[in-house]
Amino acid sequence: MPSSISSSDLARPGSAPHELRGAAGGGLAHGDRYARQTAADRPGVAQPVPLRPVPDHPWGKILASAVLLLVLMLAGWEEYWRAYGVRPGINNTYGLWAIQRRRIDAGEGDATVLLGSSRLFFDVQLPVWEGLDGRRPIQLSFEGTSPLKATEDLAADPKFTGRLLIGIAPDLFFSGFEFRAGAIRYTRNESPSQRIGQWLSMHLIEPYLAFDDPDYALQTVLARQPWPQRPGLPEHIRVRKLSKNEADRNTRLWSKVETDPEYRALARRIWLQNFDPSPDDPSPAEALKTEKEQIERMVKAVAQLRARGVKVLFVRLPSSGPFLAFENRSYPRARSWNGLLAATGAPGLYFEDYPELEGYTLPEWSHVAPSQADRFTAALYGVIRRDFWRPDAAVASGQATPAR
Amino acid sequence: MVFNSLTFIVFFACVLALHSLPFSWTTKKINLAVASYLFYAAWNPPFVILLWVSTVVDWYAAQGLVKARRPAARHAWMLLSVIANLGMLGFFKYGQFLLDNFSALMSTLGIAYHPAHYDIVLPVGISFYTFATMSYTLDVYLRRARPAQNLLDYALFVTFFPHLVAGPIMRPTELVPQFAEPRAASAQQLRFGLALMTLGLFNKIVLADSFLAGVAERIYDSDKLPGTLDAWAGTLAFSGQIFCDFAGYSTTAIGAALCLGFAMPDNFRFPYAAVGFSDFWRRWHITLSSWLRDYLYIPLGGNRHGARRTYAALMTTMLLGGLWHGANWTFVAWGGLHGVYLAVERALRARFPSYRPGPLMFVALGLLTYTLVNVTWVFFRAKTFGKAWLVLCGMFGQNAGAKPLLTTFNLVSVAVIIGGILITHWLMRGRTLESMVARAPAVAVCLVWALMAFAIIAAQGAGNAFIYFQF
Repeated sequence: MPSSISSSDLARPGSAPHELRGAAGGGLAHGDRYARQTAADRPGVAQPVPLRPVPDHPWGKILASAVLLLVLMLAGWEEYWRAYGVRPGINNTYGLWAIQRRRIDAGEGDATVLLGSSRLFFDVQLPVWEGLDGRRPIQLSFEGTSPLKATEDLAADPKFTGRLLIGIAPDLFFSGFEFRAGAIRYTRNESPSQRIGQWLSMHLIEPYLAFDDPDYALQTVLARQPWPQRPGLPEHIRVRKLSKNEADRNTRLWSKVETDPEYRALARRIWLQNFDPSPDDPSPAEALKTEKEQIERMVKAVAQLRARGVKVLFVRLPSSGPFLAFENRSYPRARSWNGLLAATGAPGLYFEDYPELEGYTLPEWSHVAPSQADRFTAALYGVIRRDFWRPDAAVASGQATPAR
Repeated sequence: MVFNSLTFIVFFACVLALHSLPFSWTTKKINLAVASYLFYAAWNPPFVILLWVSTVVDWYAAQGLVKARRPAARHAWMLLSVIANLGMLGFFKYGQFLLDNFSALMSTLGIAYHPAHYDIVLPVGISFYTFATMSYTLDVYLRRARPAQNLLDYALFVTFFPHLVAGPIMRPTELVPQFAEPRAASAQQLRFGLALMTLGLFNKIVLADSFLAGVAERIYDSDKLPGTLDAWAGTLAFSGQIFCDFAGYSTTAIGAALCLGFAMPDNFRFPYAAVGFSDFWRRWHITLSSWLRDYLYIPLGGNRHGARRTYAALMTTMLLGGLWHGANWTFVAWGGLHGVYLAVERALRARFPSYRPGPLMFVALGLLTYTLVNVTWVFFRAKTFGKAWLVLCGMFGQNAGAKPLLTTFNLVSVAVIIGGILITHWLMRGRTLESMVARAPAVAVCLVWALMAFAIIAAQGAGNAFIYFQF
């Protein structure tokens, strides 16, 4: 019996069998001391211990030089992005969202949860809210994403009994658009390895490296160079970095959008792309059908939440200029917003009804300027406390208020 | 745990440190085994039990085989191993698939049968480690190898983390002897191992995930009709993605093992420079193709019982090889197409035994091979036959009125990377990576190493799982 567990089976570099034959028509170079057979060359026999020769080179010097070169290149890359205005921050990953979502299951089920799209995400500042309320809310909003699925997720979680602020960005919610659709699934399936990786990244890397941001990933940077436009393919600029995040997902609009006119103009140009009709748009009838479906799903979720005492409040935060005009055109308040409130029976706060929430600078028409976000948060909290979540009022229990 | 993660970097640093401490060889092996279980448990802890089941069953089956006096008893021990392993694989990987197909069959017969849908989670790497453990029992059964001397060595063979979840599919005779005596990487091996890991991760994170995956997704995951250029670009991108993903994993695994002083076999040898399909399968996923050859094709009769039996064995092997990749008929079609290619090539070789292509024809045949391989990738990548048909129609100019889907940057990326892969494979088709590295100037090696490491970090990989994890 051919024994193949003996170390004597080990062949060595330089002693490769002369009958080596490579693939058809080719064959490994004869006289090549690194040539070796593979399992493909040895049918029907026990496979021997593989060969793994090390090429002749001064590997110590190569490694040291490569590390030095790498450090220099990384330093240059970091410096380049810092000169552009980027500073280290925490990446808004699914893993970061999962950390906040787990707080509900880990004893904070009675907390206030913020669940919306980018407006509720960027405009509301958690430290300001905490200063006024005494408790820091849990931020579960995701940019470019309808909050419907996450609301359904909370509705199905009996541990959540707190207060829920649902941000409605009309073009996202009523169309069911989800740019970051995978967070809930990720949270349910997150492996121990992914959890550890998230912790390592947000403690050892992200706070120190400015370039570690998806907007500056190598392929993203290369893709947005001025490549010739392909005939027949409409030009579409992808949304650029708009926010700066902290470890507990407290987020605000990136200051560059407010302070750099060129970058602000770019951000506006990107939004404008979406405001003209496109051949890919659904027909009006399809859009209306989708809108109804979103509302119907939200009705079920809200009913489930309110049945166990969760206070639900819809909020429509400010937009302006062409963005507001587009939203009013596509999803008129009288139909969409009022329809949502009427169907769910939940109260709603619409920014145009409250002078306290108007007059803020929205650099790219959609989010409150970072320099004003603290003041805006305080004003929003004041309105909510006064008109919706008064500790001693019936309204606080989530009774519907007529849409103004 | 995936190689392209921060968790793995920390894990691997700890393993290297532990392995370099002056412990006894047995303690070091225990450390490696525990580390390997942790590596697996970091994905889903309960599934470590499956690893244990697979390990214990085959350990005792091999012991039983050796002690058995009667052929029937030997046969029974072998069957126990095969049934246990394939049963586990069948339940977790093909359970729902079989149920769905049975239900569809009943439906066509007019019988309404609607079984409950089971959300069976596929344990990562189960196809790989069940094949590895089966090869142990089968090698002992076929009297090709003696059983391992102790359970620790055998358990470490099964669980050794570099090859555990996505291969190379190792045979016991390749790895168990390496556990017999103390092994530690030399400084040269450690450094070259790190270089191999960098190369593997560059393939995976930069080429596969960052530049090619998105292009393939735009064509295969979109509901829009692709035109000729887009359909070809998407398919070529996938051909590059799957190679860089899987060969990248294998290279990283080989490098990681070398850093610890262990040798692992080649799994790829520049497959896109293959001329003909038998050549392709000697270069692509070598450890799987040789496994299927040794434990399926040859036992089915191989080429020893006439032409008809040979073709039948070939097709059976390739169809099952296709199914091994996933519980979907599209994978079977992929395997079937490869089977047809191999059969046609075999028939042509028999018909024209003295034909030897000239240099130009040799390259032309190589390009034809690559083109036909790309046709098979359509079935591998598409989730449904409908989608595969749409892409094939696009590739062959049948989607009139299709609008462009890919940007200039997408097309340039595919052209540069796929062009680079093809040129590299043709330049290296008769060599090994080591011989090319040895011939390159040290300055170039250093520069390429640093650039690859920089690109890996700058690309900011999102820890995407390797494609083959799902198989």
